[in-house]
Amino acid sequence: MASILVLGAGKLALGDMLFILISFILLTLAVKKYAWGPITKMMDARSEKITGDLDYADQERARADKMAKEREEALRNSRAEAIEIVNKAKENGDDQKKTIVASAHSEAENVRTKAQSDAEKAKQDAMQEAQNDIANLSLEIASKVISKELNSDDQKSLIDSYIKELTVNNETK
Amino acid sequence: MDDKYKFFDAFGLTFNVANCLSAVVAAILVFILVYSLSRKITMRPGKAQNVMEWMVDFTNSIVKQAFPDGSGKNFNLYAFVLFLFIFVSNQLGLILQVKVGGYTYLKSPTANPMITMSLALVSLLLAHYYSVKKFGFGGYLGNFARPVAFLTPVNLLEEFTNFLTLSLRLYGNIFAGEVLLALIGTVAKSFGIVSFVVAIPIEMIWQGFSVFIGAIQAYVFTTLSMVYISRKMTKE
Repeated sequence: MASILVLGAGKLALGDMLFILISFILLTLAVKKYAWGPITKMMDARSEKITGDLDYADQERARADKMAKEREEALRNSRAEAIEIVNKAKENGDDQKKTIVASAHSEAENVRTKAQSDAEKAKQDAMQEAQNDIANLSLEIASKVISKELNSDDQKSLIDSYIKELTVNNETK
Repeated sequence: MDDKYKFFDAFGLTFNVANCLSAVVAAILVFILVYSLSRKITMRPGKAQNVMEWMVDFTNSIVKQAFPDGSGKNFNLYAFVLFLFIFVSNQLGLILQVKVGGYTYLKSPTANPMITMSLALVSLLLAHYYSVKKFGFGGYLGNFARPVAFLTPVNLLEEFTNFLTLSLRLYGNIFAGEVLLALIGTVAKSFGIVSFVVAIPIEMIWQGFSVFIGAIQAYVFTTLSMVYISRKMTKE
């Protein structure tokens, strides 16, 4: 490894080629290790992050759109539902009114017919009682009047005819 | 120019001290740059990280232009290091040139054809390697006979011209810039204070222009490297 200093210019320094090659390779390796590697890694990571963030933003926007649409749909549905409920309540009320009125009608009718029949019956009873009373009374009067003038035979036939008449009368009633 | 260099021999090869030293300095500067810019890496980038990410995006866009289908992700790191190394190398000689005892020790490494040829060789070897890897050795050879067989000599010749144009374009631009800087420097020293005052604005203008050229050449070298690689990986 004798290194001799040679004087003069214009020599073909092929060693320079080897030297520059080695120094260039070493420089490349050093740059790669200390600067290029970390920088490109960070740049890749950043571009990845940006892509991810953009994707995320797109997703979020789509989600928000969907939610807004859903809310709108729900609002529209609830309005329709409210209208339906009101309609149903109205219908129910109408129905109930009708049934109440109908039942009141029928009840009133019942009460009226019952009252009528009661009245009829009372009238009949009164009539009956009056008839009986009249019969008894007239019988008593008649017996009192007749007992002085008739003998027992006449009395008997008279009473029979009278009774007959009474029964006929009663039957026709 | 009349620059003199010190040489030493090792492993049966000759080394140019100025080239090796400059290349190491440029490499260390690149490393310090990217190392200091990538200390606090967070999801929300700070100033340094923004600069670093801007550079990464810049070289990534170069790769993406050459590989529109996005298959060139493997070359992102290579394009990044290549661009920064050439850019820093181009600017190094504008800022700092060290001469001790008539011998140059520090200058732009890219102002030497050996360095630019090495870089071009790396790019073209990568291109051929990935072509063989993709198409197999037979397919790789078959690609030379495309689009028509009689163009095979032209295609073969193109590989050498690619290599030469890629390396010598960079070398020529940077070397010419440094030569002109040195010339303006000698003008400044020629007539004492008068020429010094006159030369300073000219030197400033040319330095600014060289910074611009250095950036453009770094961009061109990286772009063409990627284009060559992508062309080798597609069937014409």
